[in-house]
Amino acid sequence: MASLQKSFPIVARDFVHAGEASIHVQSILKAMRMDPALIRRIAICCYEGEMNAVIHGGNGQILLAIEADQLNLAINDDGPGIEDIERAMQPGYSTASEEAREMGFGAGMGLTNMKNNADAIHIDSAPGQGTRVTMRFALPSPAEGP
Amino acid sequence: MNTDPHATDYVRFHPERCTGCADCLKVCPTRAIRIRHHTSVRFVDLCIGCGACIRVCAAGAITAAAAKPETLVQDHVAIALVSPVLYAQFPNAMPRDVLLGLRQMGFHHTIDMSIFLEMFQFAAAEFIRRNRESQSAPWPLISPVCPAVVRLIAFQFPSLLPNVLPVLRPVALMAREVRERLIPQYEARGRRVIKYYINPCPTMAVSPTDGMAAARKHPAIPIGINEIYPELKHRIEGILKEVSAFAEPQLEFETCATGNAALVAMSGGEIASMKIEKSMAVPGLKETIEYLQKIEMGLFQDVEYFEFRTCREGCLGGVLTAVDKYMAKSNVQRMLHIYGLGRRVPRNTILRLYEKGRFQPEQSAAGLTRLFGDRKPALTLEQMERIEALLEQVAGWNCGACGAPDCRTFAEDVVRGQAQMDDCHWQERGGAPPTRRPVK
Repeated sequence: MASLQKSFPIVARDFVHAGEASIHVQSILKAMRMDPALIRRIAICCYEGEMNAVIHGGNGQILLAIEADQLNLAINDDGPGIEDIERAMQPGYSTASEEAREMGFGAGMGLTNMKNNADAIHIDSAPGQGTRVTMRFALPSPAEGP
Repeated sequence: MNTDPHATDYVRFHPERCTGCADCLKVCPTRAIRIRHHTSVRFVDLCIGCGACIRVCAAGAITAAAAKPETLVQDHVAIALVSPVLYAQFPNAMPRDVLLGLRQMGFHHTIDMSIFLEMFQFAAAEFIRRNRESQSAPWPLISPVCPAVVRLIAFQFPSLLPNVLPVLRPVALMAREVRERLIPQYEARGRRVIKYYINPCPTMAVSPTDGMAAARKHPAIPIGINEIYPELKHRIEGILKEVSAFAEPQLEFETCATGNAALVAMSGGEIASMKIEKSMAVPGLKETIEYLQKIEMGLFQDVEYFEFRTCREGCLGGVLTAVDKYMAKSNVQRMLHIYGLGRRVPRNTILRLYEKGRFQPEQSAAGLTRLFGDRKPALTLEQMERIEALLEQVAGWNCGACGAPDCRTFAEDVVRGQAQMDDCHWQERGGAPPTRRPVK
């Protein structure tokens, strides 16, 4: 069974290079000519996840795993962790720093956007233990095609 | 489709002039250039006609595929569709002098773009206004004016095709008006008519959004401004010396009376006279790509309209202009002082045309996706695995010595059977170079 696995580093508070890992992920999906609407959903999830890691501190990585029928995206960081996951999922709830807000980030829509665009999402986090967000996307089989 | 490996639909390579500097290799935004045997530039499809390779080639070995003025044959009626960028090339001449100069050169009709720009801008703002209610298209909408941008989106950001504003471009409106009102007059008398588009870029007169069927029937032959500049300059100097009585043009769109057209040649000029709440103008190839990436990742949904141009400073910075973009910009600013901005078409007239669907492109976003989708075969999961494995074996320096712009593209070429692993110079030396950096 063929599968492609690749990881991309995320550097905390590096707003200049923020988003580059997501762009690399997209370039792989585009080379495989996945359905544009699906690429867009993955791009949004990937970017929001990457920005969460950049904003809330803690270095991390994006893990991309593509299999025949599904794509998994994991965004792991060593940041402060999430105290109340349910609350963090509420649209508009944000604990972003003043610095991040001044740059136009931290509107509190990150996890909401990820939840809306991924087929499944799982968040594993606790204070002081970093955050691991895993998202799954179903891939149409080549026969069905986009 | 073009089958010559040394040319695309928009650019042409001249081997005898190539010095082998490889400067063109890395500037291509779609990585369409490969170099074989040091001085043989090949194009492997996906050219968007941005002209970046023409701009960077100091030896003049890459030129536009546009027509030379000597191809203006005398046995037919020649109609010039004039890009407003042309006016900005002549600091002391008025637009009517420029158009007269063109007619002296042998064009029977010279069509000015300002009326069509005005109609486009109003129709675009109208679509945006209605879209606030209907939400029929996603925000932000993207200007369809620069055809290189539309092709860039089709090839590299297909998920953004629905964002391209579905309103016909000014040049498409202009070409249609000529097709419907001017050409039949001549054809009824058995005369052959050819349209020329005098413009600053190699992207041709037709953009994918224009509606191909009608445009193909009466294609406009593109001529670079730089090609006609010397003769036109000479003619205009003659015109300026004497107070000439010139033949009054026949139709309302054969004259230019406001500064609107010149303004649009400048970055930000398209949106300057559009009534929109929040818009952004982003000129430059690198900048356009950066912003498209951000839009694709979900940013800027609070912006209604993006004006992208792949050239710095907008069309004034086109590769086929004759004077420098900053001098041209200064000329535009002077023209704005002299002419001011004005309206020539009643709003009710435009609105009536809008209701009749006269601004609607034939080609939908979905149609464009199909049109561009099949150009390059998709890589399978197995091939992607192989590419990742090959990337472990090459230097990762993106040196370009193999003839591909970067290591990932090279690995793709190998997997597609278009290059051999031996082409990598580090392979030739028996393995990896002294220090390695990972390739992303």
